[in-house]
Amino acid sequence: MRPGGEETPALLLQGVGRRFGALAAVSDVSLAVARGERRAVLGPNGAGKTTLFNLICGDFPPTAGRVLLFGEDITALRPHHRARRGVGRTYQTSLLFNGLSVRDNLLVALRGARPGRFSWRLPPTADRAAAQLLAERVRIAALLDTPVAALSHGQRRQLEVGMALACEPRLLMLDEPAAGLSPVERPELVALLRSLPRDLTLIVIEHDMDIALPIADLVTVMKDGQVVVEGPPDRIESDPMVQAIYLGHGRSH
Amino acid sequence: MTPGTARWALPASLALLAVLALLPLAIPAFWTANILGRAIVYGIVAMSLTFLATYGGFVSLAQMMIAGTAGYAVAILVPGAVPSILGGVPYALAIPTGLLAATAMGLLVGLISVRTQGIYLLMITLSLGVGVHLFVQANIAWFNGYEGIRNVVGPEILGLPFRDTFVFYYTALATAALLYALVLYLVRTPFGLALQALRDNPRRVSALGYDAPLHRIAAFGVAGFIAGAGGILVTFYNIGISPGTIGLGATVNILVMSVIGGLGHPVGAFIGAVIFTLFDTFAADLYDRDRFNTLVGVVFLAIVLASPDGVLGMARRLRDALAPRPQGRADGIATSRAASAGPPASGNGA
Repeated sequence: MRPGGEETPALLLQGVGRRFGALAAVSDVSLAVARGERRAVLGPNGAGKTTLFNLICGDFPPTAGRVLLFGEDITALRPHHRARRGVGRTYQTSLLFNGLSVRDNLLVALRGARPGRFSWRLPPTADRAAAQLLAERVRIAALLDTPVAALSHGQRRQLEVGMALACEPRLLMLDEPAAGLSPVERPELVALLRSLPRDLTLIVIEHDMDIALPIADLVTVMKDGQVVVEGPPDRIESDPMVQAIYLGHGRSH
Repeated sequence: MTPGTARWALPASLALLAVLALLPLAIPAFWTANILGRAIVYGIVAMSLTFLATYGGFVSLAQMMIAGTAGYAVAILVPGAVPSILGGVPYALAIPTGLLAATAMGLLVGLISVRTQGIYLLMITLSLGVGVHLFVQANIAWFNGYEGIRNVVGPEILGLPFRDTFVFYYTALATAALLYALVLYLVRTPFGLALQALRDNPRRVSALGYDAPLHRIAAFGVAGFIAGAGGILVTFYNIGISPGTIGLGATVNILVMSVIGGLGHPVGAFIGAVIFTLFDTFAADLYDRDRFNTLVGVVFLAIVLASPDGVLGMARRLRDALAPRPQGRADGIATSRAASAGPPASGNGA
């Protein structure tokens, strides 16, 4: 069930917590994600899922606990150092570079975790080819010259994923990739997620169980900043506590 | 920059350069040196601000001070300056030193202001500018205080004195053209693309692996270099430099040039500089000599009220209004904007 067996997990959280003043957004979360594993994180709004992502990618440091990436303690590292070590992510609301074209967004993303970030030479053919390839992968190749501000919501979500893939992350975290997608776009997203290389470790926050469960090896359910259940998808679906959480709070999607 | 803009940018820039290169043959020397030449050298300083504001989203009020850093460095070093502070260093060495000093000052301003944004960035860069101005004004040993350093005549070029109208004008024009091309080139490189990404979304830039603060400081260094080149030419134009060159008034003038010309493209800095110079020169003839600044102020106010994004914004709107159907289908923004603005009947007929 767990690819990678007993070797060092891709991501290990030890008692991680984050307080904002009196509010404990995340408290005492311990989590091990094996290499190559697909992990879905479920939970109602305000459960602390996105905060957990922010703690892993380094947007703010945890107030408690440790974060280990492939065995290396990255708790104190700033976001760009984590990105260079292979942490890639997308955001719940697309964070794109609205003044640039799709191509330029991808070119920026391509350089992020590589040398030549300060390069004064025009992007080499290799970069442009890589951008083209990424755009094809997320099905926006026809829009390469379009300003990002003119993209539809679904296209923005696709570019969002393309940019996260551009860094060739070892750990990819997707924050509600299906949010706001049409019924036509959803299966495309699932197909894209299934096509990701097997050695990539993937964590997906997703409300929609139809998207999360088919791709997940293991599911973690959070509520009120804590992990309440963890297990394989079939068990999670029938878990009475999960049903209570989702039915009790009303599934918004 | 949209692809639609990129298509006409190069031919338009070259045409403008050709006009500016030929114009001195048709106009009086006063216009060449004191209107166009002056506008170009101050326009370079304004472009350093436009570069930071347009592509990085950083409005720095320290750019005239940084320009002055280069001007003072040259004035301190070169022979013939009055008073002679260090003297004896040939222009060929003094000018690169000045550019280096301005770049270093740009990096320093970037470093000090690295954690600030918006109004706080304005305040901190303004304080740095005013601080250096006051320091220079008080320091006699290095900067000759209030009087400043006079008789900085500039190098000889091809055996001709820099004071020659044409030597000054064409040197300024060539420098401006090179720096203008540098800016337009730079924003297409990974360095420049990341700078624009930083403007749009610093958080994402960091998450992609960029050291955002370091990138930002580097951009201030580039802007410092550009401002320094302008500052050295300003010093030659004024045949010297005094604290007034980098004072609050001069700082505001640079800001006014950038804003009335329009942020969004480096050419705006030069358009703004020409308009500013015209009014600054002739307002006194048009209006009461004691109150000509009122006229200058009213005109600038009118421009900014009519078009918050300056002359460039005005031109953009005019172009959209005259051409309701843009040629490029990839030009998504323009298409949607024109489609919503234009009457449907004309759209079908075209």
